[in-house]
Amino acid sequence: MTLVEFPAMALAAVVCWLVGSLLQIPARTTKALGLLSWSFMISGTLVLVWFLTSYWIALERPPLRTLGETRLWYATLIPVVGFLVESRYRIGWLKYYCMGLAALFLGINYMNPDVFQKALMPALQSVWFVPHVVVYLVAYVLLAASAVSGWHNVILNFRDKRSAKAESMSHYLALLGFVLLTFGLIFGALWAKEAWGHYWTWDPKETWAFISWLAYLGYLHLVARKTDPKTLQWYLGLSFFVLLVCWFGVNYLPSAQNSVHTYSG
Amino acid sequence: MAEKKSTGKAGSGQAGFNGAALFTLAAVLAGLGIELMTTGGGLAIPGWPFNLVFLLLFGGAILAVGLIFREHPMVTWLGGIPLGLSLIVGLALLSFVGGVLPQESVVNGVLQHEKFPTGSLVASLRLDGMFSSWPFALVTLFFLFNLGLTLVWKTFPFRLANLQFMLFHGGFWIALSCGLLGNSQLQRFVVPIDEGRATNVAYDRDTERALHLPFSIFLKDFQIDQYAARLALYDPRTDQVIESNSKQMHDISKGATAEWPGVGSLTVLDYFPDALPDSHGIPVPVEGKNGFPFARVRLEVGGVVSEHWITSGGPQLKPQFVPMGDYYIVMAEGEPKAFRSEVMVMGEGGERVAALLEVNKPVDFHGWKLYQMGYDEKAGRWSTLSLVEAVRDPWLPAVYVGFFMIMAGNLLFFWKGIKKMEEA
Ligand code: HEM
Repeated sequence: MTLVEFPAMALAAVVCWLVGSLLQIPARTTKALGLLSWSFMISGTLVLVWFLTSYWIALERPPLRTLGETRLWYATLIPVVGFLVESRYRIGWLKYYCMGLAALFLGINYMNPDVFQKALMPALQSVWFVPHVVVYLVAYVLLAASAVSGWHNVILNFRDKRSAKAESMSHYLALLGFVLLTFGLIFGALWAKEAWGHYWTWDPKETWAFISWLAYLGYLHLVARKTDPKTLQWYLGLSFFVLLVCWFGVNYLPSAQNSVHTYSG
Repeated sequence: MAEKKSTGKAGSGQAGFNGAALFTLAAVLAGLGIELMTTGGGLAIPGWPFNLVFLLLFGGAILAVGLIFREHPMVTWLGGIPLGLSLIVGLALLSFVGGVLPQESVVNGVLQHEKFPTGSLVASLRLDGMFSSWPFALVTLFFLFNLGLTLVWKTFPFRLANLQFMLFHGGFWIALSCGLLGNSQLQRFVVPIDEGRATNVAYDRDTERALHLPFSIFLKDFQIDQYAARLALYDPRTDQVIESNSKQMHDISKGATAEWPGVGSLTVLDYFPDALPDSHGIPVPVEGKNGFPFARVRLEVGGVVSEHWITSGGPQLKPQFVPMGDYYIVMAEGEPKAFRSEVMVMGEGGERVAALLEVNKPVDFHGWKLYQMGYDEKAGRWSTLSLVEAVRDPWLPAVYVGFFMIMAGNLLFFWKGIKKMEEA
């Protein structure tokens, strides 16, 4: 499958999520509808999994090279986190944010279509390519979810509806995200040594990866200091903006002129 | 432990944080002051063996202070989380400046203050060379001191329960200190070699100074593999390539088709990756990689069908393209897929090692790592010049020990996190 089919597939996914979400309303009273609602929501994600797989096959390389390709992964994986959180914590609201975020990413891809290009530059042809990028992807997905729930908790706190369960959820999402961020950073360094001759050169992308890692390191140590979780929800919500700079904001910074790492496209 | 005990005084509460923030600010200002006085000269890490001596003295001092003055409130504060957090924030802010402002780089042996001329405030404060500047160095030094103290307290007495802590913090301490101190001994040279020649002349990547390596490299053969050549519709007015309705890069192969709505369509009738024109100008396939890519295409523009040969050209052959409406159908050479050098490395003692250098596949030779770095890009796939990079980094094993400790700690942390999450 190529990008010609993308708009149809994206629309199908968004429609599935939308129908599934709307079905949640009558599902509160009718159990059978709950099942139907979940089938729709999961189907939406399965459509994307299918598209991603066949796109990978058609490209003859992992679709992890361009920004658009990484957005496709986020759109596929973020709702999964929402679904898993619901099954684990019985917290339902996160999945709607996640599906909304995923729909936003699909929309961005629709507005800025990628060019279907098989070429993969030699530096990217490495055993490290897939683990490094995938680990980072999953880290970003988890930290995006923790940021969303951080904001949600901030709102709950304003309305005096503080939920310890929701705070513990945002904490564990951030914790798992930090673990993967650390792996991603080190995998990146090990790969850079093999591909570019040195593991760390303070390239803008590396610098921003370091800053975002420090941001979450700061979070963990604030937790170790028994900082008020109410304050930490703000922290989690804001930290994600640092990650966003690292993900694609770097390309627009003055420092990016001589970066080797920025995504093409 | 130490923190919990000390949560009475300096280490706790808002006061602890204010003091720590002030301390960090002082370190940054002191660093900026030094830069101003030296007009942004930066900091040169001492070379061998002084870097090792420094590391041992610094590590020894941390150990001694941590063990002897363990109960001293000043020391518990120096090793406490409030200071650690402030220094993390300081490090993040300095990195932020270094991650936003373009950083200086050395091109052809000349230091480029790209945006910031010598004498400008940014250059005088060395904000364009952040990662070798005094403020960055001072904050890092205190960071390592603080982290080191915590580490000493968690390590003595040894408790298995602290293993994850030791791996994380110890690994980071080792990787950071050894990475920074080892940087003064890092050597990166470019070795340009022509096919059929041997050389031991290398150029410093930063200063372009030439020197002789303790070994020489003979280049038997340099090869480039390319992706298939591509078809594109070129707009001469905007100097841009127009996308077809399939949003594809059109790899050329026999039978491939492409359509540009409102302009026309095209079918590839024949494709020769390597061909030369015969005496009538008709391309004939040739052996080896001595020819040029040619394709015979059938165009359909507004109902009119025509057939043409096109080529991307190369040395001594002009590219051939055909008009399609207001545009041109052109052939673009495929992007490089892989390039490699078949070499023989010869040591001073006379030993010879045959090796294949390829991107992402460096080869080790007597403490050096040899990388396929580049080639003559103007000549493209006809390049007979290979650029090899030779790198020596004696501190690499120490840094990697740090990396692997962090990863081991990370695994334990993950496992513990999952377990706690199950309980929550
Ligand atoms: C300024 C230096 C640092 C200091 C003073 C410091 C201190 C501490 C302390 C006291 C704890 C609490 C441990 C416990 O209660 O058992 C902790 C936790 C932790 N630190 Fe650090 N640390 C520093 C830097 C780092 C760095 C550079 C890393 C990463 C490589 C790191 C990773 C962690 C992790 C993952 C935890 C566990 C947090 C948790 O259990 O929730 N720390 N640190």
